[in-house]
Amino acid sequence: MEPTSLNNMRIFFILTAILVLLTPAAPVFSQSDTLADTENCLLCHRYPNMGRYDEAGKKRVYYVNAQNYARSVHGKIKCKNCHIGLDRIPHTDVNKVDCATKCHVKEPSTNLEFSHANMIQKYEASVHGRGTPQNPKPFPEDLPTCKDCHDNRMYNPFDGQWGLSQALFNETLARCMGCHTKEKWAQNFYSHFTHRMRRRRAPEEVVRLCTSCHEDVNKMTRHGLESIATFKDTFHWIEIEYGVKNAPDCISCHVPLGYSTHDIRPRSDPISPINAENRVKTCSNQGGVQVCHPSAKAKFATGRVHAYGTKAQMMAGKQVKGLEDLDIDRVLQRAEVDLSPEEIFRFKVLQLIKLFYKIMIGGTIMFMGLHQWLDFLRAKRKQKNRS
Amino acid sequence: MVNNELALDAETGVPSEAAADERYFVRLNKSERVQHMIFAACFFVLVATGFMLKLPESFLSFFGQAGEMLFRYRRLLHRTAGTLMILVGVYHVYYLLLKPAGRRWLVDMLPRLKDLKDMRDNLLYYFNIRNEPPEFDRFCYKHKIEYGALIAGTTIMSVTGIILWTQYEWSKFVVDIAALVHGMEAILASLAIMIWHFYEIHFRPHKSPLDNLWITGVINEAEMKEEYMLHYKKIMNDPELQKIFIKENPKRGPES
Repeated sequence: MEPTSLNNMRIFFILTAILVLLTPAAPVFSQSDTLADTENCLLCHRYPNMGRYDEAGKKRVYYVNAQNYARSVHGKIKCKNCHIGLDRIPHTDVNKVDCATKCHVKEPSTNLEFSHANMIQKYEASVHGRGTPQNPKPFPEDLPTCKDCHDNRMYNPFDGQWGLSQALFNETLARCMGCHTKEKWAQNFYSHFTHRMRRRRAPEEVVRLCTSCHEDVNKMTRHGLESIATFKDTFHWIEIEYGVKNAPDCISCHVPLGYSTHDIRPRSDPISPINAENRVKTCSNQGGVQVCHPSAKAKFATGRVHAYGTKAQMMAGKQVKGLEDLDIDRVLQRAEVDLSPEEIFRFKVLQLIKLFYKIMIGGTIMFMGLHQWLDFLRAKRKQKNRS
Repeated sequence: MVNNELALDAETGVPSEAAADERYFVRLNKSERVQHMIFAACFFVLVATGFMLKLPESFLSFFGQAGEMLFRYRRLLHRTAGTLMILVGVYHVYYLLLKPAGRRWLVDMLPRLKDLKDMRDNLLYYFNIRNEPPEFDRFCYKHKIEYGALIAGTTIMSVTGIILWTQYEWSKFVVDIAALVHGMEAILASLAIMIWHFYEIHFRPHKSPLDNLWITGVINEAEMKEEYMLHYKKIMNDPELQKIFIKENPKRGPES
């Protein structure tokens, strides 16, 4: 027998035993006041130890915290609305969750059945999408899916940036409940609303999320991109490191006011916020919560924001360390499109200044150190002679 | 060395060592000391608040919640100290050109062929090829190098600092150059001050642990003869210079 089927068998027996033992108690759990579990999934999934190691050796947790789930954005949705199938126990008929599934919830503004299909449509057309069937992107396994960014953040606490604290929640909720007497509903609505009133991640979290792919040199090279460790050479990143709340992270420039994270476009796209035509608007961020560079002018805003990285080094004919074993043709192709001769000139000038200063600092400090050391030795010798 | 000094005394014809103990020589007058103090204070503030931008990532978590406030004050302090330093610099130019003491400073500070010879001879002295160091005037080659570096450094830092402060008026490329130069020059200046200047005032065997010249402005006759023999001789042979550079009773405080 294959180890997987053995595992399945084992799970099956354990589950059956639990089922038999707990049958009299089942109605009690299904009447939980935190979650209307009419499908009775929590009968098994309420056990924190529930899970297994899959074929790839990855730990899969099948536990669902009923209270957290009830408070999450999806709290009102039945399990099987998203987890299609699951008619057999053990669940051998599992389908991967498709976020475009219509989940039998009515979208209140149109009264149509709700799904994330429109977001996914935008997303697929964006720089992170898989391209079209006629023109698919290479290495689709590298491209992020919904859950790569929406990484279990449904269990969010209510507090967050810009004063949306637990205390504010307590006070506001009391006001809501003056009219909307059902607390759970009010909580969900508050949560739904306030999630959209703030950025859910602190700047360093955003950077961590984006760099989890974009700093992976192998992955980036496959797609003709360079690692964005170059962001960490900027003043923007230093501000984030100091915990400045107004500090600009990836989202601030790549998804500013009026844009959607699901619709990030390449720089060459005229609707991209970092397209040269839109830069002044992006840097000045007029009307946004973040106060960035309200006085930004075209000549300031059209310059380089990230430090020059691999592409500029390649174009300037420099050897780039760490890429020796990688296929860099794609990066080179893109570099030729992305970097104008002017940019390369600028890069070379900056490199030259850096080199000049390195030599100057090295030379000066060596001369000074040596001179003072000699002076010290001579003075000591003189003291000795005196005594 | 005692013999040597006595011999030199005989050569210049100045009074014996016992009497010379009473006499002090002005190296920095009051204005120069005040200029130095403000400038030095600004320098420390600028170095501290400037290199806060270069602290390693792991260190910053130490600030925790205070980080944001620190960052705000960092900027305020850096710009205040920078402005003050530029003002001292501007005053110093005025002092050099329009005040008699400043003009004397400027003339004495100008590089001369003698400085190159002095440097060669002093290095030979360090290598024990010459037995005596050259006789230095009011400012020796070490001072002139440092002063030149200070003028150049302050100018570069001021110009690039103002560009960074007024970043919207410039193209990003100019701002990028200014940021790079400001950072690199800062490293150079800090290291130079640490190795060149701090050595002079802290670590030279007879100055340790800290020379108080920057407060009193004067040195005693023995040191004057040892360090600036040529200037000493000039002073001793010129009653006008004696009025300026000799302080008979330093207990009353140095002259202005």
